[in-house]
Amino acid sequence: MFQSLLKATGVHKSFAGVHALKGVDLDIRKGEIHCLAGENGCGKSTLIKIISGVYQPDAGTIEFDGKALARITPIDAIMLGIQVIYQDFSVFSNLTVMENLALNSELAQKRRLVNWKRMREIAREAVAKINFEVDLDAPVSSLSVAQKQMVAICRALMFNARLIIMDEPTTALTRKEVQALFDIILKLKAQGISILFVSHKLNEVFEISERFTIFRNGELVKTGETRELDSNKFTYYMTGREFAPQQFVPEQVSKEPLLEVRNLTAKGFFEDVSFALHAGEIVGVTGLLDSGRSELALALFGVRPADSGEIRLKGRKTDIRRPRDAVRGKLGLVPEDRLSEGLFLPRSIEDNLVIAEVDRLAGPLSVIDRTKRRDEIRRLVDEFKIATPDPKNACQTLSGGNQQRVVLGKWLACNLDVLVLSGPTVGVDIGSKHDIHEILQNLARGGMGILIISDDLPEILENCSRVLVLKSGRIRKEMDTRDADERLILSHMM
Amino acid sequence: MRQWLRRLTRRNEPYIFLVLLALCLLIEVRSGQFFTANNLVDIASAMVVPGLFALGIYMVIVSGGIDVSFPALASLTSYATTKYLLDAGYTGGIWLPMAMSLVMGAALGAVNGVFIGFFGLPAMIVTLGTSSVFKGLMQGALNSVQLAVIPEGMRQFGTDALFVATNPVSGLSSRMPVSFLIFAAVVLLVFFLMRYTYFGRGIYAMGGNEVSAHRAGFHTRRTKFFLYVIVGMIASAAGLIRTCMMQQNHPTNMLGMEMNIIAGVVLGGTAITGGAGSVTGCMLGTLLIVIVENSMILIGIPTVWKSVFVGALIVIGTGVSAMQVVRANRLAANRNLTQEAAKA
Amino acid sequence: MRKLLALLLAAALTLSLGAALAQENWEIVVVPKDASNPWFVRMKVGVDEYAKETGLNLYQKGTPEIDATLQAQLVQDLIAQGVDAICVVPVNPESLEPVLKQAMDAGIVVIAHEGASLTNVNYDIEAFSNSGYGAFIMDNLAEAMGGEGLYTTMVAHVTNASHNEWADGGVARQKEAYPNMTLLEAEPRVESEDNGDVAYNKAKELFKKYPDLKGIMGTSSYDAPGIARAIEELGLQGKVFTSGTGMPAANKAILDSGIVKSLTLWDPALAGKAMAALAVKVLKGEEITAPVDLGVEGYTALTFKAGSDKVLEGQGWVVITKDNVDSFGF
Repeated sequence: MFQSLLKATGVHKSFAGVHALKGVDLDIRKGEIHCLAGENGCGKSTLIKIISGVYQPDAGTIEFDGKALARITPIDAIMLGIQVIYQDFSVFSNLTVMENLALNSELAQKRRLVNWKRMREIAREAVAKINFEVDLDAPVSSLSVAQKQMVAICRALMFNARLIIMDEPTTALTRKEVQALFDIILKLKAQGISILFVSHKLNEVFEISERFTIFRNGELVKTGETRELDSNKFTYYMTGREFAPQQFVPEQVSKEPLLEVRNLTAKGFFEDVSFALHAGEIVGVTGLLDSGRSELALALFGVRPADSGEIRLKGRKTDIRRPRDAVRGKLGLVPEDRLSEGLFLPRSIEDNLVIAEVDRLAGPLSVIDRTKRRDEIRRLVDEFKIATPDPKNACQTLSGGNQQRVVLGKWLACNLDVLVLSGPTVGVDIGSKHDIHEILQNLARGGMGILIISDDLPEILENCSRVLVLKSGRIRKEMDTRDADERLILSHMM
Repeated sequence: MRQWLRRLTRRNEPYIFLVLLALCLLIEVRSGQFFTANNLVDIASAMVVPGLFALGIYMVIVSGGIDVSFPALASLTSYATTKYLLDAGYTGGIWLPMAMSLVMGAALGAVNGVFIGFFGLPAMIVTLGTSSVFKGLMQGALNSVQLAVIPEGMRQFGTDALFVATNPVSGLSSRMPVSFLIFAAVVLLVFFLMRYTYFGRGIYAMGGNEVSAHRAGFHTRRTKFFLYVIVGMIASAAGLIRTCMMQQNHPTNMLGMEMNIIAGVVLGGTAITGGAGSVTGCMLGTLLIVIVENSMILIGIPTVWKSVFVGALIVIGTGVSAMQVVRANRLAANRNLTQEAAKA
Repeated sequence: MRKLLALLLAAALTLSLGAALAQENWEIVVVPKDASNPWFVRMKVGVDEYAKETGLNLYQKGTPEIDATLQAQLVQDLIAQGVDAICVVPVNPESLEPVLKQAMDAGIVVIAHEGASLTNVNYDIEAFSNSGYGAFIMDNLAEAMGGEGLYTTMVAHVTNASHNEWADGGVARQKEAYPNMTLLEAEPRVESEDNGDVAYNKAKELFKKYPDLKGIMGTSSYDAPGIARAIEELGLQGKVFTSGTGMPAANKAILDSGIVKSLTLWDPALAGKAMAALAVKVLKGEEITAPVDLGVEGYTALTFKAGSDKVLEGQGWVVITKDNVDSFGF
């Protein structure tokens, strides 16, 4: 009754002795939305690359539309109708939308000369398929992330796609954009196209998929109907661990605020923002992407200083014009894009951990005291359970969750009073997310004041005692999280 | 029409063109000699060699690479050609020397191409290395000295004029060299290559994102290899033309030109990070540098202040156009966002 | 006492007799930068000629290529060989110092050329003083210009010490000897960057901007040929003039065609002769006091460079015209 479009059976793959896939199965039916989930390193990406012809399996079979595939190349896969939309979309941001759309098909036909008129025709046809309205002559660099993704989707659709694999497509999208993407996915499904949706975000899996498959450590853990799944089971399948929800309850909240913000304004981003943060408390700030929430974080840390208003740290008015001022006032920031803003990826984990406290580690003549530095690094690696064989390795060798721990570790090494986190668990898998929340809650209990800026509402509800909702740059509502739920917060956000 | 204008403001060329125009007017005001037939011919003639080099380096930079070996490559091939033909007592026309130079240029370019394209080594390191090797071959193996005389056919080619422009007031006359035709042909060829072939679009794609270019089906290694071969050929042609026009071969004459050439190309809007740039911009940028270098006396800048002025002009020129482009792009991005918001 | 005195006298006589006898056998070697460079081939011509004229055991010996290490080895070999005098044109003066010290310690007379910074030498000969050479270029330019008109000077770089001293010397000479000539005050010194193409383009610019300009004094050997190319192309032959340093063979064409009337240079053959002559003087034990007459053209009134008791400067410049351009062999 259900026809399989793609059926992988007993697939094995090893890389230089590492057994990445240990005999996994995957069954995708015609016209279904199938979710493939699993933590980082579980083998999802490897399987995708095997299906799309980038890797060859060591053992096992793959059938597509009833025919066994043997040793296919990426081009073969495309010809069969298998399209992958990578996390980075594989678009050329320096070229126009038109060229991005038309290049692949022109190359597939082995053309040597460019016909710009034909290119425009191809591009027009491609965007028409999903009614995507865009200036074909705009460079892709001027598009939003969501629009770039649409370009990638349109491009995939041009080859009579039958299976579209989306590798964590929602990572960089706002809530609204995710909704728009889901609409497109449903449209594609209606056209009989199967979608393999790779994600580790629970709510998305529930919302969009009909069936799911979960991998852990290169093995198939569970496959079935999504409606039989619930949050606890999902987390258990993913991590093999059970997590009790840990609702944060502030214990000792100071009377005097650690951080007090009065009428803070950054023109064009946010206006007249006032709030207070006490020791021992975790306060959430949420809002849509354009609500000014990210800019508020940058203003508090002095990256993009506010135009007017005042910031008081421990009751003292502090003028924060640059990050150094913030650090002096014992305020730290874990930025939204930890990859570009919070870490020196090619440098070692050690260097990243101690960079903010170089002054403290320096002996006379500003020379770093090596013994002190070594002890400090050992302490931090242990305390934050950073999973690395050697702290001398480059930061980019770590998984997202571990990178985030390095960023946290870096700041905690400075004995801060106030820590501002912007999207602290974006792109982090469930296990690490849980650990990071635990760290934050412990820090608050230890007397730190923490401000979490996030649009992940379950995260805010679980960890914060109060939440501020920003809309169009102004605080619309301040709520006690005990009186709030997701729907209520959302209603203030929109 | 409005859209066309808007698109134009997002490009770098109009700004660099304005800077260029302002400079020309300044020279005219200061000397009264800029817009004279002979001066314009002088500039066209001074543009030939730097212009050829710039076309080559423009393609390399768009691909995300860099080449600092082209002056050494041009010196070596032009010296070897001239020396060999002199010793052989060659008396024919320009075709044989040109063919010899191009073959050698292709071979030396292929050396760069193999290391950069097929072995994937960083272009900067490779070309710094080959630059030394080429210089070494010329000075060591070929024992280079200044060649005061060049074969007659080459001399003829270098001094032949398409036309002679004479200034009716001062009586000064300047020759438009025949080699300008070669330069013009290469401009058209590179323009066609970069805009109307998938080889050229592959160079742009590679400069934008090499991994994606490979995934999209470009033969990135092969493209890089042939790119450096072509650049070697263009450079060797430029070297030979320089020798013919000077009617002598100074082996060290072109060494050190790379910095100003690269500056001109970047000034013309070619992104040093790769992926963006146009032949028009590249030529405008190079023209700006050539005019500046050859007009310091006309403007009346004291010799000791010359490098300060040239440097400042490069910084200002690049800065002004880059800033304008950033602003235009930000406006465009905002427009996209508001459009989207309006839709939602 | 008297016996002792007689004995000493006899000894002295014997010694001086021995010295006189040895004069026939003095072995003097000239070490150039290398053996094949036309410049030093020309030097060898002078050295061989001088050996024939004087009957000295004098010869030139060079390394196959210009290389400071090879040159030092060659000098060491000559020390071991026990020659009487070494005349050297150092590739790298600093790196040659220790070897020259060995030579001096071994009692060998050391004469250098174009090595004014050397300390381990008896004397260093420079063909001319910088200001003297500049004046000489000016004389040639003035002759071509007919002693009147507007002129300017060209150097490789305004930071190049010797070129600027030449140019200064030229300007000083004009002020003193050619009252009808005037320096272009707006552009008194332009740069050719030691590049013939730049010299050509700068000259074109100068002629465009200053229609009255009648002459350019070149210094670098790339200047005059580049300026000549501009003169030819702009159709200014016979109206504007240039002179400056230039190699004969490289500039035969512009001299023959008359675009350039004369170029200036110093002749390595004469420098070679002068070194040998000075070596003989030192070996003979003659006192060297300025002005020194070595009996070589241009080296008949050498004077010490200001502040030095080792560096001797001559008037060893020569003029190259279309009549003698073929006689140099380089």
